[in-house]
Amino acid sequence: MEEKLIDFIKHEFVTDADVEITPETKLISSGLIDSFSLVSLQSFIKKEFGKMIPAPKITVESFDTVRQMVDIINQF
Amino acid sequence: MTVCSLGFIWYFDQKAVYVVIGLTLFTYFIAYWMEKGKHAGLAHTIGVLGLLAVLIIFKYLGFLTGTINSLLSFLHALPVFHFEELALPLGISYITFKYISYLTDIRWKIVSGGKLLDFACYGSLFTIFVAGPIERFERLKPQLEAKSEKFKPEYLEIAFQRIVYGLAKKLILADWLGYFINPVWQNPTNYSALIRIAALFGYSFQIYFDFAGYSDIAIGSSRLFGLKIMENFNKPYLAPNISQFWRRWHISLSDWIRDYLFFPLSQGKTNQFWLIFCVPVISMGLCGLWHGAAWHYVIWGIWHGVGISILQCWNLFKRAHKKKIAFVSKPWFKYCSTALTFVYVTAGWWWFR
Repeated sequence: MEEKLIDFIKHEFVTDADVEITPETKLISSGLIDSFSLVSLQSFIKKEFGKMIPAPKITVESFDTVRQMVDIINQF
Repeated sequence: MTVCSLGFIWYFDQKAVYVVIGLTLFTYFIAYWMEKGKHAGLAHTIGVLGLLAVLIIFKYLGFLTGTINSLLSFLHALPVFHFEELALPLGISYITFKYISYLTDIRWKIVSGGKLLDFACYGSLFTIFVAGPIERFERLKPQLEAKSEKFKPEYLEIAFQRIVYGLAKKLILADWLGYFINPVWQNPTNYSALIRIAALFGYSFQIYFDFAGYSDIAIGSSRLFGLKIMENFNKPYLAPNISQFWRRWHISLSDWIRDYLFFPLSQGKTNQFWLIFCVPVISMGLCGLWHGAAWHYVIWGIWHGVGISILQCWNLFKRAHKKKIAFVSKPWFKYCSTALTFVYVTAGWWWFR
């Protein structure tokens, strides 16, 4: 799950080719991904993992890293 | 706490107490229906439409009839509408948004309905009733339910420090700036273009200190009662782009717009024009309308929506040309981007004021 999310984020959102994305990389708080990207990410998660994450759960506190995303996905 | 809050509201606006009690009972009944009944979707729709209807009747009826009548004036044969404008109950914009988030979060199974008294306290909490933050029930509910939570002396220090910061921002910085710039705004033709531009930048800081100061007071006052309320501002004028600005300015409102307008309008859509232009412009236009029943607020919102659309186009361009535009990660570019964002936001305040 982590690898799929990292691949998607790196391919779709990251504009700097040199940026390394790990499960602990801060994505929202660092400005690497924006609100539009989060909508796409929500759609990707629904399509890929069959889980619909409600928007209020997609916050900088709970959805900032790939590891946190996996935790939230597993809750739903 | 609920009784104190209702007493506070009664002191300033007796009619608002009846509105708060009515909305609270209505919303709680809808929540109960959603959780216990079979038609949660229908209940949610009725609840949200009911809350919006109350907001429209009290806040936007005069604005809507005025706009319709202006359009009809082009067609002289048609009659014009006349409605007596109702006085705006205190805190109506905030409580309706809080209650819509409450119902929608129950619909999304993020939170359960809770006890009526806790919910009534959430809706009427006097420290955040008049001007936010638009706190979520999900965050406040555990705090209201934690009966074991006792008052601690350190709350006083944290709370009073925050209140003093807020008062300083409001009474010293915002009011002091207002003393200098208000004469320019009242009689702009008496001043040169340079002075008017300076007054616009002055207003940019005045509105920040005013509102951020108020939020500090609200957060500090809540802390006196052991309640942790969400932050509403985080150095917004240092944001490197307009999207980041809205993650730092009036955070509780921008989160609300994002969660209950922006995401639902975007979900499942693939049309790029809709996603890149229509969704931000509609979301931010409605955000502007929430601030006040006047077209200049809508234009201010659209100004920000267009800014977000431009940013989104730029991001798509960056993604398509990663290697050719490596300069975007340079520090000088980030400084320029921050300055440009500040100027764009400041220009938007002209519409707002």
